[in-house]
Amino acid sequence: MVQQTAFLSGYPILLDDMEMKDLPRAQLYAMNQASIRSSIPSEQPLMSEPAPISTLRAEYENGSSSFVAQIDDLVRQGFTSIIRTRGDGDCFYRSLAFAYIEQLIRAEEPELAVVTALSGLESQKEKLMKDAGFQEIVYDLPYGVFTDLIKRIISQSGDLLTSAGLLETFQDSEAPQYIVMYLRLLTSAQIRTAPEEFEEFIMHPDTGMKMTVTEFCENFVDPMGKEADHVQITALSRALQVRIHIAYLDGHSPDGKVKFVEFDQAPDSRSEPLLLLYRPGHYDIIDKNGV
Amino acid sequence: MASISARRLRKELNEINVEGCPAGIKLLSADNFDTWLFSIEVLGESLYQGEVFKLMFRFDANYPISAPAVQFVVDETRGAPIHPHIYSNGHICASILGTEWSPVLSVSAVCVTLQSMLASCKVKERPVDNDRYVRTAPDNPKKTRFQYDGDTV
Repeated sequence: MVQQTAFLSGYPILLDDMEMKDLPRAQLYAMNQASIRSSIPSEQPLMSEPAPISTLRAEYENGSSSFVAQIDDLVRQGFTSIIRTRGDGDCFYRSLAFAYIEQLIRAEEPELAVVTALSGLESQKEKLMKDAGFQEIVYDLPYGVFTDLIKRIISQSGDLLTSAGLLETFQDSEAPQYIVMYLRLLTSAQIRTAPEEFEEFIMHPDTGMKMTVTEFCENFVDPMGKEADHVQITALSRALQVRIHIAYLDGHSPDGKVKFVEFDQAPDSRSEPLLLLYRPGHYDIIDKNGV
Repeated sequence: MASISARRLRKELNEINVEGCPAGIKLLSADNFDTWLFSIEVLGESLYQGEVFKLMFRFDANYPISAPAVQFVVDETRGAPIHPHIYSNGHICASILGTEWSPVLSVSAVCVTLQSMLASCKVKERPVDNDRYVRTAPDNPKKTRFQYDGDTV
């Protein structure tokens, strides 16, 4: 059953027949935001090669000493490298997908890890997608892209997926877009099918106004480029059955320690958490084994 | 192997062929994965009783990650619906076709949503900035940047 979707109307932003000074503030702000966003891709690849965490420290050495203290705390805890992702609003989902697949590649018994992951993904898809009201034509191709990549970890046919190959895939192919799309669908389906657990925490990220679960998912989960916050991360931790630990590098820690926010919605509480780094408005991957 | 975009469109087309379009919507042509044409009318009581419009979808290689370009066709035989969010050149100001597009939506879902936008219309009038916009509008409505802060539809 195809359903209609609520949407907003508005007006076009015209440049040709008016002076910049005549534009309302809201238009100027929107244009400025759009121009910032469109300028990012040229500077930052979708996903960078792993870099020593000292390169992150160097960014802050002439600035905030509290950031530097928190980075030193990460080093003390054994983190050695950072993989940066493009700040295009999809960085949480892309970082998480990468860390998820990388963990399977590094598993002591990759065969077992991959088979377990695939069966979990399959049963979560069956459990959540239809109940959430998503059409099969919407989710089956992105699901195929995601699981085909995972299957290559134990491939016998010469296209074995290594860590280097994973990075290459995330840097230069259409696959990560569809994997991000699938993780968004999973997140959305989890929230839509258990609304009573999420609605208390759901609000408009800019205005703080209450909104319904459906409005929230349609506006801030389903569309590409919309950043993830606590609600989305909690939902994805549960739907993907993984633990997600995020180091919050906010420069506000009085004792210079990094606070980890732990999303432990996985059924197996002993599984290795996926590790991300959060700086206000952006997610990257941090690692203890790299570089 | 065909691109993911072409595979998705083939599935959508297949579903339309097997299950038919939603009521009031007919597929006019889908000979390729670049441009599809539909006729669309509002069934039941509305301000558009007896009017049939033509809707054009244009897809790029990144569909459904990026939105299709959707507009009403304006030619010798028909015009765009007179509606506060539809410009006389056929361009539509609707957030789901711009910044709120989501790959969850399909061609059928867009058709149904636009049909309901027409069905719920209270006053037949053009957008206030119609003439100004149409004078300078690009051919492809996706090249227009809309500010979406109007009514929820």
